[in-house]
Amino acid sequence: MNNGCRVDTDRFDKSDRERVGADEFGRSISKVAVGQICERLGFYSANDSALEALADIVIRYVKDLGKTTKFYANVANRTECNVFDVIQGLEDLGSSVGYPGGSEGCSSVLASGVMKEVMEYVEGVEEVPFAQPVARFPIVRSRRLTPSFVQMGETPEFKHVPDWLPAFPDPHTYVYSPVWNERTSDPRSDKVELARQRRKAESSLLSLTKRLLSSGSAVTSTVEAANGGKKTRFLALTDGQTVTHSAEGEKAVFETELNPVVLRGKHVNDSNTENHVSILETFTPVIEAINGRVSESGENGERDFLDKRPSVRLNFNNGRKMIGDSLDLRLWNRGTGRISSWFGRDDVMDDKKRRAEYILRQSMENPLDLPQL
Amino acid sequence: MNHNQQSNEVRHDDENALSDFLASLTDYTPTIPDELVEHYLAKSGFQCPDVRLTRLVAVAAQKFVSDIAIDALQHCKARQAAVVRDKKDKQQRDKRLIMNMEDLSKALQEVIITL
Repeated sequence: MNNGCRVDTDRFDKSDRERVGADEFGRSISKVAVGQICERLGFYSANDSALEALADIVIRYVKDLGKTTKFYANVANRTECNVFDVIQGLEDLGSSVGYPGGSEGCSSVLASGVMKEVMEYVEGVEEVPFAQPVARFPIVRSRRLTPSFVQMGETPEFKHVPDWLPAFPDPHTYVYSPVWNERTSDPRSDKVELARQRRKAESSLLSLTKRLLSSGSAVTSTVEAANGGKKTRFLALTDGQTVTHSAEGEKAVFETELNPVVLRGKHVNDSNTENHVSILETFTPVIEAINGRVSESGENGERDFLDKRPSVRLNFNNGRKMIGDSLDLRLWNRGTGRISSWFGRDDVMDDKKRRAEYILRQSMENPLDLPQL
Repeated sequence: MNHNQQSNEVRHDDENALSDFLASLTDYTPTIPDELVEHYLAKSGFQCPDVRLTRLVAVAAQKFVSDIAIDALQHCKARQAAVVRDKKDKQQRDKRLIMNMEDLSKALQEVIITL
């Protein structure tokens, strides 16, 4: 059977998703069953509306038959239905159509014409079971009832309430009790506490930096043997970052400088140790200064760092030339103007300019190697 | 006396036929599934634990539907025969029988259901 006769759930879902009735499941099943019956009779397909109408008629018929059967059973003082009740119900429903023996009135139920017709039908027609297995429906969810007084083990407070009724809800669900803050707050002691915690954090940070530095200098000897210099990279990074955090006045400057320095260190192969040591040398005085300052005053930072700093010399590639590298690798001190230019101009200069400068310097430095450039 | 005996025999035969039929229903699986029939019978108050009765109801409903469908089929064939009379291709008549609302309503009118 082609698609017209089958229940087309895809199409229906898209259009009727909002309008699903309560009995949709039963209706779709009966539609499939009716479609199967029609197909067996010789229909190639059916209009959707015709199929729905027929499915509705089937459901109505079953309901009416059940109602009539129940009526006959009740009339005979019974609640459970009998086969005779069913036969009488069938006769009732078939009376409008007509069946053999209908005009004779209420004859023997056993010799009912309707039953004969049904029997003939069953014997004559081939058995076509329903296409798919159907689950029992509707599914009844078992509800959890509120336990009664007796089940809870309580006795109701009021005498007029019997104990087999559901229990009252707990008082905390409906009684409102005010809530207030028990803790008294002292603004002065709060400030003192806050300052103490800040100092503690700073001192712990300092001790951490010192420990890292001391461990870092111990590590350089081992790093000479190492290949990629990853440890140094890491240490340099941590150094830079801790220094950044502790030095408040230079935060803006350090962040931009140290990161490019450290990142470019990846390209370096063998002279890492030199680089590392020089970084250590660079920042030890800074840390000493911070130490002294923290013990003196507290949180206010001043900008005298820039004047006190010694010249930085980070020699990455001694004999080798790496033209592809960016300019930041070479931080040398050729004059006092270098430092200020480095720290002041970095945001302004872009990569291309730095590259040009680098090449220029290279050519000036090594006039013999000019053809290599 | 004779008549009574005869009617007794007839009744006996009928009883046998009925019981045989009900016994055969346990094997037969109607096209309308049992769960569907049970659901709608329960909705209308029909209370019976016996599966044979639900099968009986299912078979009766199936017969009802097939009667209507056969009538609709005849209507459809009759209409096709009226149309195809002019054309030469006779084989066209046998294919593509589609159940229409019109055929169905004509068939249902005989069962006195107006749509």
